[in-house]
Amino acid sequence: MTSTFMGLETARRGLVAQQSALYTTGNNIANANTTGYTRQRVDLQQTEGFPSVGTNAPKIPGQMGTGVEAGSVVRVRETFLDTQYRSESSKLGYWENRSNALSDLETIMNEPSDSGLAASMDSFWESLQDLAVDPTNSGARAVVRQRGMSVGETFNYLYNTVSSQKIDAQNEIGVTEKAVNTLLSQLTQVNKQIGSIEPNGYLPNDLYDQRDTILDELSKYAKIKVTYEPSGGNALAQAEGKAVVSLVDDNGNVLGNLVDKNEYNELKLDSNGDNTAIQSISIGNTTIDINNFESTGKLKSVVESYGYVNTNGQVSGIFDDMLAELDNLAFTFATEFNKVHEEGMSPNELKNGNQAISFFADSQSSDGSITVRKGFASRITISEDIKSSLDNIVNSDPTIATLGDSSYVSKLSAIINNNYDYGNNSEQSNFRNYFEGVIGSMAVSAQEATKMHANSSTLQQTVDNKRMSTSSVSLDEEMTNMIQYQQAYNAAARMISITDEMLDTIINGMGVGGR
Amino acid sequence: MRVTQSMVSANSLRNISNSYNKLATLNNQVASGKKITKPSEDPVVAMKGMYYRSNLNQVEQYKRNLSELHLWMDNSEAGIEQATSGLDRVRELLLQGKNDTNSIDERAAISKEIAQIKEDIVNVANTQVNGKYIFHGSDVSNALVTAGSPPQVAGNVTDPAINNYSVEVSQGITMKANINPSTFNQETFNVLQDIEDKMANNDTEGLDELLVRLDNVINSMNSERAELGARSNRLEMVESRIDSQEVMANKVLSDNEDVDMEVAITQLSVQESVHNAALSVGARLIQTSLIDFLR
Repeated sequence: MTSTFMGLETARRGLVAQQSALYTTGNNIANANTTGYTRQRVDLQQTEGFPSVGTNAPKIPGQMGTGVEAGSVVRVRETFLDTQYRSESSKLGYWENRSNALSDLETIMNEPSDSGLAASMDSFWESLQDLAVDPTNSGARAVVRQRGMSVGETFNYLYNTVSSQKIDAQNEIGVTEKAVNTLLSQLTQVNKQIGSIEPNGYLPNDLYDQRDTILDELSKYAKIKVTYEPSGGNALAQAEGKAVVSLVDDNGNVLGNLVDKNEYNELKLDSNGDNTAIQSISIGNTTIDINNFESTGKLKSVVESYGYVNTNGQVSGIFDDMLAELDNLAFTFATEFNKVHEEGMSPNELKNGNQAISFFADSQSSDGSITVRKGFASRITISEDIKSSLDNIVNSDPTIATLGDSSYVSKLSAIINNNYDYGNNSEQSNFRNYFEGVIGSMAVSAQEATKMHANSSTLQQTVDNKRMSTSSVSLDEEMTNMIQYQQAYNAAARMISITDEMLDTIINGMGVGGR
Repeated sequence: MRVTQSMVSANSLRNISNSYNKLATLNNQVASGKKITKPSEDPVVAMKGMYYRSNLNQVEQYKRNLSELHLWMDNSEAGIEQATSGLDRVRELLLQGKNDTNSIDERAAISKEIAQIKEDIVNVANTQVNGKYIFHGSDVSNALVTAGSPPQVAGNVTDPAINNYSVEVSQGITMKANINPSTFNQETFNVLQDIEDKMANNDTEGLDELLVRLDNVINSMNSERAELGARSNRLEMVESRIDSQEVMANKVLSDNEDVDMEVAITQLSVQESVHNAALSVGARLIQTSLIDFLR
């Protein structure tokens, strides 16, 4: 026998459950545009049927349903898509930063153009040609001096601008390091909160969303692997637990633990002795040599732009490599130019006898001599002798020794077309070709970075689309649900009225027959 | 697949921004007239561009060098022309003076005329162009001849080292601008002086021998003139070659990096309509939802 008021209770349960589903729908609509929000759904489940099994159970035919209850409120999310998204995210972080750095470098080098280093070398060559056809013309000499200065200044300008990019990259290293550590600390906080809520049998959906957003953000910086440890107590089966995050390389090998169950290990980029490059990365007490840090991400890219100590103990990096090439160009050209210039005879030498007069000089060395290759592009200038007198620019072969002989000017102008070992690696090439090579390889790297940036961004968007397809709020769907729950709620209320009428019949209408 | 509002709006935003990006690139191309603005857009075009640009600069410079050659050769030609006609006049006067019908006064007059011609040839030999003595090889700062009786020619005229005022006309190829400095040699002035002296002294001894010497001088000057003429021809050939090189260099540079306007503008208008379509479709898509149809 069922109880008199069973119908009321069943309908009440319906009211409460539909109401909570309706409120969850309201929450979904409210958060339709919230970053990182995952749509939620109420797990509606039937309550236990009546009667339950037992000796004293009433013997009625069949077991009747007793209504519905809201089991738990869960997020609709697929962790597999998160893993995919994060792996694309780290590639995107790497290529985005790299393509930005290379694009800055391209803008600075400004080739091909009518105002870059190549153009400045061309006009220096032109001025030498003009002097060669008219070696007694002091106007042509003045132009050679000015164009020589301009070659020096172009080298100085390029070197200094690229160097300041390197300093910017150094700041970026600091900012990146701080950003990663902030994320790690936030993650630990969220982990702690989750750890204190889950054992009470709740699902802290908002905290899960927060944590996933932090993990998405963190994955831009390096490849990470996330595992979960249960927080114990009366945690539900759906509870995710505490996230444990480790930094992994591209093959999935663990390099260090970023976040443990209860604490995080600070990430630090350690510079070399003279503070010009990154030597190693430390995570807590673990130190990783920078050459073994094969974890794609923004972190790796900022290190590569700023500079790192490579396996040969040399400083390498996008900006450092370009600085070294500028040094190669300036040093070799100036050295070879001076060699010829010192041999030849200038108008002053024709009067006073041959002295070794150099054309280019090192602004930092005491006698102007050119001996140090590193950083020479920032110091190249024309020598004091050339500054003091135009007649110190050579023109004549010492064996001919006349004012009108221009064989040495021709020799000087030929230096730009002659092959020398510019790269200090026993490979011969001329100035233009070597410089074209430098610009070419920069352009190819930049092109690769731009393409890869576009590719990884497309891939990430595809995965993000899939993720959104599962997790993001669809207003149409929520409206449909809303109507569905509303109608169910209304129907449950009507059920109460019906039950009320039934009770009215038995309470007020029964036993008055025949009156 | 479940499609949500945020997916649709994110996708349409991305597509609109992509197509706007393409519009910007095409606009850049049309506005600058160049295919690329950064080497990474096409490294090959960029590297070739650097090479072609230098190449064009070189050709233009070599073209400029040619004007110096013209200056020297034209002036040398004019100088030799003047000197040769002077020497021809001397030859006439010598033949005239050889006749025994001439009186002392007539011979003295001849001598005076020859003296003037001699001065003239000294001036020719010391011709300066832009302050440079063009008949003294590369020793342009010193006069070739010092006036006197006879005028003295500088000692280094036979030095082969100075016989080379050369100008580069293309990479590694030079052309000589000057004529042989010994064209005006001591013998020229000695002969003139001897004739002048003999005429002044009314001395007819050995005039035949002088005539032979004078003819030798005239001959060597003529042969130098012929050589100069041949060199002028070569200069013209070089000039026309450099002219066509310049045209080629410009064409190659332009082919490499200049944008094809018809193509770029067509693409621009196609892209424009794509962009408009993306905008209007996007705007329509994200406007409506089920809410609009619920009462």
